[in-house]
Amino acid sequence: MPLTKARTYAGSILVVAGVTALALLLRQSLESSDLTMLYLLGVVVVAISFGRGPAITAAVLGVLAFDFLFVPPHFTFRVSDVRYFVTFAVMLSVAVITGTLTARLREQREHARLMADQARRTQSQIEVERTRSAVLSSVSHDLRTPLTAITGAATALRDDAALSAATRRELAETIADEAQRLNQLIGNLLDVTRLESGALRVHKEWHSVEEVVGAALTRLGPALGDRKVQVSLENLPLIPMDDILFEQVVRNLVDNAIRHSGNDEPILVRGRLEEGELRLEVSDAGRGLSKEERSRVFDKFYRGGGASQHGGAGLGLAICRGIVEAHGGTIEAANREGGGAVFTVRLPVQGNPPTIESEAEPMMREARP
Amino acid sequence: MSDDGVPPVALLIEDEVGIRRFLRAALEGQGFTCVEAPTGNEGIAQAATRAPEIILLDLGLPDMDGLEVMRRIREWSTVPIIVLTARGKEREKVDALDRGADDYVTKPFSVLELLARVRAARRYRAESGATAEVIETGGLRIDMARRRVSVQGNAVQLTPIEYRLLATLARHAGRVLTHEFLLREVWGPTSTEQRHYLRVYMAQLRQKLEADPSRPTVLMTEPGVGYRMAEADEA
Repeated sequence: MPLTKARTYAGSILVVAGVTALALLLRQSLESSDLTMLYLLGVVVVAISFGRGPAITAAVLGVLAFDFLFVPPHFTFRVSDVRYFVTFAVMLSVAVITGTLTARLREQREHARLMADQARRTQSQIEVERTRSAVLSSVSHDLRTPLTAITGAATALRDDAALSAATRRELAETIADEAQRLNQLIGNLLDVTRLESGALRVHKEWHSVEEVVGAALTRLGPALGDRKVQVSLENLPLIPMDDILFEQVVRNLVDNAIRHSGNDEPILVRGRLEEGELRLEVSDAGRGLSKEERSRVFDKFYRGGGASQHGGAGLGLAICRGIVEAHGGTIEAANREGGGAVFTVRLPVQGNPPTIESEAEPMMREARP
Repeated sequence: MSDDGVPPVALLIEDEVGIRRFLRAALEGQGFTCVEAPTGNEGIAQAATRAPEIILLDLGLPDMDGLEVMRRIREWSTVPIIVLTARGKEREKVDALDRGADDYVTKPFSVLELLARVRAARRYRAESGATAEVIETGGLRIDMARRRVSVQGNAVQLTPIEYRLLATLARHAGRVLTHEFLLREVWGPTSTEQRHYLRVYMAQLRQKLEADPSRPTVLMTEPGVGYRMAEADEA
């Protein structure tokens, strides 16, 4: 920690005072030349600790104190013997030389530290740059693939009058599907950006998990096809969450399960309240996760084995983690006994769900058959 | 075609020419004549002079806020307005609905989805709030005159609040209703902050009326916005 200038000078005065006290104590048993050595030692200590300026101050103060107390005539600043001038000159020279050397050493050390900092910064800049260009090339590939399909199909429809009705329909479907994929990718990129910039605001209200899961399954509609999704929610109470964001978590998890398991394999959505938290599991009966995948599935742009052929850009699960953590919860991936992967979301439930007074009126008479 | 044989006019207030082009193609296929306005000011002028039967309004216009365009048109017109909005702008959707939009579609949308919204909005206006006596959608039958509800022919008992909620959704079938609107209609004007009431009663209704409450086909949720009863042709 660098000392302030005033403190270094105060320090040098203290050292001289200390040396003088010691010299006064030892004056009976030591020669005056030994006493000058004590002062010299003090000057060296100050030079090493505080640098040149304080060292010169210490030398001058030391000479004055020594002259006043120990050089005859005592208690005056007069000097009777010329050899003391040599002592003074030596003390001053030592102060200047040692102080200068110390200062130079210090500068070199500081310089070395700056160089190391600079190197570290450059290294991390290189890494950021490398990640950024990897991301850019991955994103532009992901954007260009559907665009290529759309351009091809659209120009064929425009330019080739001889196409059969069935082919036209197929091309139109290609355009619709690929545009949908493009839309999803852009949405995911925006979400990741929002999550990383901290612009995401979680707006919690008491929500029905069943309703949020239902909205997610509805929005997945076409992607889900006639896949079996078993939902088991055990009469969950209302849970505090942001419905728009949590719908996305459920949708991404189910979408992930669709991508990584066979068409005839069921997907299970299970929710229960345990130890004051909501535990929501989405599991599939696919090939499960390798050890590497388990630790990296939530990383941005990570694609597990074979995922690229499923059309994912490696953002869905990263978004899930971002949203769940913004809710104060956790998410983890594991393998199920008997095969397949299971993703577990845990959300803390704080406070009691609002109560609703039961209806005072009787059941509607008219509604009875 | 409307009754007098003159094609109905659809006004497209949208600055992107590509979007106007496909909207026009879709609507002309349904017998509309399309009038296009690339700015809000032009849209307001066209709304006054061309007497459109439906307006499609983009909320992101270059010259003025789409909500302001709607407010100005609503000063003198009850023409159905469907707003075109973007993903992630739930607050904007709610604002638009609360200020008199009939419905919204989120870009990008399919032609099928858009035409369903247009149909629902026009039908509601044509009936001018008066409701059909019997509403049927996806196996659900609501006899509004007798206040009887049945699913696949089996009578279902509802509490008074459940029935009021269901009837409100049914009167507006096909249209999104905001939380605030439903709370005001069913519980009264002092309850518009009690959104959890709505969630509990919607859950009860789904338990009684949906085959699988976690995959509803009639009582649909629009997260962050409200609820919508699916129409007969989509349920």
